[in-house]
Amino acid sequence: MTLFNVLIVDDEQEFREVTVKRLNKRDLHCEGAESGEKALERISKGDIDVVLLDVKMPGMGGIETLREIKCRMPLIEVVMLTGHASVESGIDGMKMGAFDYLMKPMELDPLLEKLQEAYAKKKNQQDKIEMAQIKRDMARPS
Amino acid sequence: MKAIIDRIKKYLLRGAGSRPSTVELQADFQARYREFRSLLTANNNALEAMAEMEQALHAGQTFSAAFVRSRSTAVMVNVYKMIQSLLEISGGRYHKLKKSFEKISARVGEILEQETAVSSGPWIIPLHKINKNMADQVGEKMANLGEVAGIEGISTPKGFAISAAASRHFLVANNLNAEINRLLQMLNPENLAAVYEISAEIQKLISNAALPADLETKINDAYSELERETRPGVKVAMRSSALGEDLAGATFAGQYHTELNVDREFLGQTYKEVVAGKYTSRAILYRLKKGYRHEDIEMGVGCLSMVDAIISGIVYSRDPGNPGNPWANINVLRGAAQKVVMGTAPTDLFLVSRQEPHQIIKQELHQEQKPSEAETDTPFPPAADLAIDLTKIALILEKHFGAPQDIEWSIDGDGKIHILQSRPVVFSSDTGENADSGELENPEEQPLLRGQVTASHGVGFGPAHLVANAVDMLQFPRQAVLVVAHPLPEWSPLLNRAAALIAETGSEAGHLATVSREFGVPALFGVQDALKKINNGDVVTVDATYRMVHAGRREDLLARSKPPPDLMAGSPVQAMLREILQYITPLNLTDPSSPYFKSTYCETLHDITRFCHEKSVEEMFSFGEKYHFNQRAAKRLVGEVPLEWWVIDLADGFQEGTDVTGKTVRVENIVSTPMLAIWDGITAFPWQGPPSVSFRGMGSILFQSTMQPGFDPALPSPMSSKNYFLISKNFCNFSVRLGYHFAMVESYLSDLLTENYVSFSFKGGAADARRKAARIQLLSQILSRYDFRVEQKGDSMTARIEKRPVAFLKDRLKILGYLTLHARQVDMVMGKQRSITRYRNKFFSDIEMLLKPTTAEV
Repeated sequence: MTLFNVLIVDDEQEFREVTVKRLNKRDLHCEGAESGEKALERISKGDIDVVLLDVKMPGMGGIETLREIKCRMPLIEVVMLTGHASVESGIDGMKMGAFDYLMKPMELDPLLEKLQEAYAKKKNQQDKIEMAQIKRDMARPS
Repeated sequence: MKAIIDRIKKYLLRGAGSRPSTVELQADFQARYREFRSLLTANNNALEAMAEMEQALHAGQTFSAAFVRSRSTAVMVNVYKMIQSLLEISGGRYHKLKKSFEKISARVGEILEQETAVSSGPWIIPLHKINKNMADQVGEKMANLGEVAGIEGISTPKGFAISAAASRHFLVANNLNAEINRLLQMLNPENLAAVYEISAEIQKLISNAALPADLETKINDAYSELERETRPGVKVAMRSSALGEDLAGATFAGQYHTELNVDREFLGQTYKEVVAGKYTSRAILYRLKKGYRHEDIEMGVGCLSMVDAIISGIVYSRDPGNPGNPWANINVLRGAAQKVVMGTAPTDLFLVSRQEPHQIIKQELHQEQKPSEAETDTPFPPAADLAIDLTKIALILEKHFGAPQDIEWSIDGDGKIHILQSRPVVFSSDTGENADSGELENPEEQPLLRGQVTASHGVGFGPAHLVANAVDMLQFPRQAVLVVAHPLPEWSPLLNRAAALIAETGSEAGHLATVSREFGVPALFGVQDALKKINNGDVVTVDATYRMVHAGRREDLLARSKPPPDLMAGSPVQAMLREILQYITPLNLTDPSSPYFKSTYCETLHDITRFCHEKSVEEMFSFGEKYHFNQRAAKRLVGEVPLEWWVIDLADGFQEGTDVTGKTVRVENIVSTPMLAIWDGITAFPWQGPPSVSFRGMGSILFQSTMQPGFDPALPSPMSSKNYFLISKNFCNFSVRLGYHFAMVESYLSDLLTENYVSFSFKGGAADARRKAARIQLLSQILSRYDFRVEQKGDSMTARIEKRPVAFLKDRLKILGYLTLHARQVDMVMGKQRSITRYRNKFFSDIEMLLKPTTAEV
């Protein structure tokens, strides 16, 4: 399995810490952020691949955070996390470019699987862009 | 004109100059292929969620509003993903799907977010101003009592109701609803310990919240008014009177909190506790079982002056065990009525004829007959007179409310009867008719134990589980027989899982008895020494109707038992699911060749999934043709192979280093796991060709289409007439299109169980309707035997199997490979029953042979 970087954004401290710990044990590099604002600060470093993002947070909400992430770092894949399953937030997140959504509480394996899928997609997009870049370079008259 | 010329130019240019490079084509193809895969996964997930919803509705399962919401969300999100993927694959064609989706999802959203009508009105309403039409303000219990208070000649305690509007004000002022919802959302109802924990947490939240000052003042004022009406310092009983309970005949018996003897000092605290009682674990589980959303229920609270009860009890205007009996049932107990409904004390039972002149038909005295010294100085009214007076009142109330009534009463020191509550009787779903017409007890039977009271009719069996405390409750296994000393309301969460209930005390008037009847759980009360004579784990059969407990499992008695009632019938949550499913599951787009198979005709989410699936397959299949995709286009399979097969490598289905420039490929070069499994099935037994009997006629058509001599792959025949495999390492889509006959096998195999599936669809064939039906039946018999879920519709069938380990699914693919090749022969001879049987037997024995070596490997 490829190692990649995951950021878990949730105001619920217990959930966040436990999930970070468990995912790190499964050979992912995983960190937590307790708010949308903190998350945006963290992703600006540029090494995060996948974000797991709670929809409901005080301050900057999940959907708003998602919009900002997609705007600043469009390649990062975001998996939304909903506690109170609402159709609205599920669909809204998808429309704004979330990779998928998961419902709390969830088990570790499906979560891991979803994060891996999201990373595979991100990796793919990246390859595509690189390919296009190479092509452009080669087409340039030299 | 210019436009046309431009278009022609463009076309010509595309043909010449801008032909995409190989690498670009591969990348394009892989991107599409990935979209295609994710579309298939989303399709799977959407259909699975739909199936769960239908299952929940039709199989009489218990489900919560959260379940409906989460499954609906899963369907919608996955359908949305499918649309996205299809648009991606098709380069934006079918964009009208989005509009259809928006329309449907808006409707589903509306149903899901439907708010319960919020009641309004004053916070405090005196009892004498309440009538039965005010249940939406003060709750069913208080509305009925207010109605009783207004009936001439019937007396009730004085008091007032604190309305639902007041409790909402209390919760909103403390901003509690969001937190309560969050806690409830995490609830796993299967885990009793977790339910207790969350219930305790919510109740604590409510009890510790501050009562808004304005509400507290109003409650105190109302109490002062009550003091003026009665006497200073009057003690009150505070009981829940929830809104929305009356829907669909739920009783909510004993699910909430009642507090007796409350004085002014504790009014506020007790009020909060009664409101918190909405979230006792038993109330939470009861609502779940009966299909109520928590937000459907709001709490009103009744505040009634205490009656100094000498005697109390319950009167049923009709026998709850069998409404056909011509008598009223009266349970009598010394002291407050609370003990009757709690089921802790033995009660005396009187049966009084409903016909005038009322007569006592039967009396059973279970209370100790000698009153203790302290009680002898209070005049004890003659039981017979009392029973007849109560019957008269019960009949008045029955007439007034228009239905048999379950009435709680008390008699004070002056001998005056006070009605504390009146509500419709809950009858046993199983009325034990046979029992009452025949002999009540078989004299020759020597049961393990006998009981005195049929609290709920029926027969149940299981291992006994003795329960005395919360720890025992947590260990209560499913389908066990619950054995308790007293039928306390606390045990009601276990009725969800109990096969039967045995209690040493209690009457049919208790809360637990009511809930047993409601849930259709056989319940036998008054079984002396049950806890001594029954050990944990003993298997017993409880015959509640004949009031006996037998050792072991008694088939003869169990044959009498009826299936349990559909507890959720008519409930708000069930209605919500039913309404939503209208927009989700019906399939209108069934025939891809119909002119109505269009994105604009998609009326349900199922239609959209069907449409997306069909169109994406079409797009994928035509990819090679559309793009002069020489290198990736179909390659003919060569080597020692029967018939003609074509392979399209979607991604990584060929061994690395395979020469991909040629027009053919060898089986040895293929690394697609599912394709190789299908191929094993195809090649396991030599194909005999179509049976000779029909070599002419229809058979020769098939034969020709299969044995097409046009071997030169450079001369492509239309895709639709080839047998071809679309493959990658983990994926294979195998299509056999032969003239009139279409079969498709599709599979994805990987280490992720959730992604794995094998599906098979089969349609048409060159035969008349009767033959087609017979063939489909034969196929479905075979596939069902090998664990496929088979669905038949007319002359088409689909079979699916998913989420199984790779080895298991590989065997299924072999079977399908075998069948797609050999089932064709059946077409020709399908008319004769004898030959069908012969073929079936041959198929089964071939398949067994086919699977043998693999099973040995595994």
